[in-house]
Amino acid sequence: MKQRKGLSWLWFALGMVYFFLPLAATFLFSLRGKRDVLSFVAYKNVFVDPIFLRTFSFSLEMAILTVVAGLALIVPTAIWIHLKVPKAKPVIEIFTLLPFVIPPIILAFGLIRTYSRPPLALVSSPALLVAGYVIVAFPYIYRSVDAGLRAMDLRGLSEAAQSLGAGWIHLLFLVVLPNLRAALLSATFLTLAIVIGELTLANLLAWPAFGPYMALMGRNRAYEPAALAVMSFGLTWGAIGLIQALTRSGRDKSAGLGTGAR
Amino acid sequence: MAFLELHGINKSFGSNAVVKSLSLDVAKGEFVSLLGGSGCGKTTTLRMIAGFETPDEGRILMDGADVSGLAPNRRKLGMVFQNYALFPNMNVRRNIAFGLRIARADKARTERRVDEMLELIHMEEFAQRFPHQLSGGQQQRVALARAVAIEPAALLLDEPLSALDAKIRLKLRDDIRAIQRRLKITTIYVTHDQEEALSISDRVAVMLAGRIEQIGSPFEIYNRPATPYVASFIGTLNLLPARVLEAASGLVEVDGQRIRVAGSLDAAAGSELSLRIRPEAIAIEGSSAANEAGDGRETLRGKLENLKFLGSIVRQVVALGSREVYADVFNDPSLVFPSIGDEVRMRFARESCLVSPNAALAVAVETED
Repeated sequence: MKQRKGLSWLWFALGMVYFFLPLAATFLFSLRGKRDVLSFVAYKNVFVDPIFLRTFSFSLEMAILTVVAGLALIVPTAIWIHLKVPKAKPVIEIFTLLPFVIPPIILAFGLIRTYSRPPLALVSSPALLVAGYVIVAFPYIYRSVDAGLRAMDLRGLSEAAQSLGAGWIHLLFLVVLPNLRAALLSATFLTLAIVIGELTLANLLAWPAFGPYMALMGRNRAYEPAALAVMSFGLTWGAIGLIQALTRSGRDKSAGLGTGAR
Repeated sequence: MAFLELHGINKSFGSNAVVKSLSLDVAKGEFVSLLGGSGCGKTTTLRMIAGFETPDEGRILMDGADVSGLAPNRRKLGMVFQNYALFPNMNVRRNIAFGLRIARADKARTERRVDEMLELIHMEEFAQRFPHQLSGGQQQRVALARAVAIEPAALLLDEPLSALDAKIRLKLRDDIRAIQRRLKITTIYVTHDQEEALSISDRVAVMLAGRIEQIGSPFEIYNRPATPYVASFIGTLNLLPARVLEAASGLVEVDGQRIRVAGSLDAAAGSELSLRIRPEAIAIEGSSAANEAGDGRETLRGKLENLKFLGSIVRQVVALGSREVYADVFNDPSLVFPSIGDEVRMRFARESCLVSPNAALAVAVETED
């Protein structure tokens, strides 16, 4: 038993080394911006670069729009599929795999060809970029929402709400969405993480986004790309931590801890 | 005039006809149970009343108004589900207040009504708990309070006790009936549990293959079953094959022994039929007991094979040819039973012996399986 436990720890340690060693190496490398000393000069260079802030805020803005558009489109669809056409679930699951199977470059060229001439000349509109991002984020949003819906008794809850007089709006906002909280947060942060670092669509549609900026930095600088990579990891982990914290606070609330109010 | 009326309801799922020409009238304040085995159409019928399914044909009237095409949220019906369906994100108080909140009842009225409901289900101290912090029985009581809080036109319960332990089931069954009586609310109750249906209802509708086989008071359903299926579905029943000897006098032969049934038989001499006798209608006597001829009671001889102690009753199992016949007696410590293997006489009143043609017996037995 003791030997088994020791083995478990060994595998855990190996896993940690596998994951953290490259990251630690990247972090150490990012601190070598100044000769012979460890410093945050590469991080400073990144932050003082106006292009960084411009591209990052642009990508953040696009990511937020993608989250809003993606959730508005996919959440009601997923609920509708679960309630009305559950037999269509396998078909939708195949669709969710398409963005993984079809390379983004194909998607980008498809969008450009389709939307570069009237009556749908949208190629210069950020709406087309957001639409493309919604497609890229579709598997993550749909699967998160789908997992959330599977975890709750959607049919039972919706019928209970309807028998108590609730229409679809009440059902959605008072019953379904509050119980999908963890799934929605997960979909939101995954989408943010994906969109902020996305390169191909932004590059081919010629938008000043954060992904192309990171690629450019990688070609022209030595230490700043490492700093950006570490910051990007930090952002992703921060987002995951936030999901955990918010979900736990939701669970605690559900458990009635600290709530005495009516 | 009936408060809830179902007229000629038909419902199919694909090629599977689930409800067939079903008609039912329920008076205001009445408690009616839909009783039947799996797939008999009882839940589909309830769901059509609730508005979750639409009948292919027929009409559903509530207080004289046709509600067949009305959305479920406009029918003003309270529904209780087998799996409780409490909203996990809301505590008990908010669950109960949900319907009132949707109806935009003013806050003071909502609070008052929720307090009344909590008192009704004896769960005042659980008001701030969330569903996952409650037992199954408590959750179902909250679900009941939530359904009743909106003062629905009728209450629909879909196997509400199926997921609960036997002891809690009994308690909650009584609670449901008490609340229904107190609020005088029209109630449709779906169950596959005959004891539950018989103990709680004003009337029971026994369903088979999408149709109502018989509807009547629990007493009628149990004591005067209209069809072999109802007879076999409700309670325990002894089925004995018999041959007609003399139709006019009701003389038949069972396992080589002659007995008479009440009245004359509508069958030719020599034809086969089956007799149905409830176990509690049969009294067991030792073979040495005096034969009281002419007392209107019949006798069949057999061998006592087993005694089963079932708590409040003792079931005596008597071998009659290759068949087993059950005879139930209340568990009285002063009773002296014959020994296993003894020859015994089974005595029963002619009136307690119901007759059906053999074909009907085959249907009943097949359905029971």
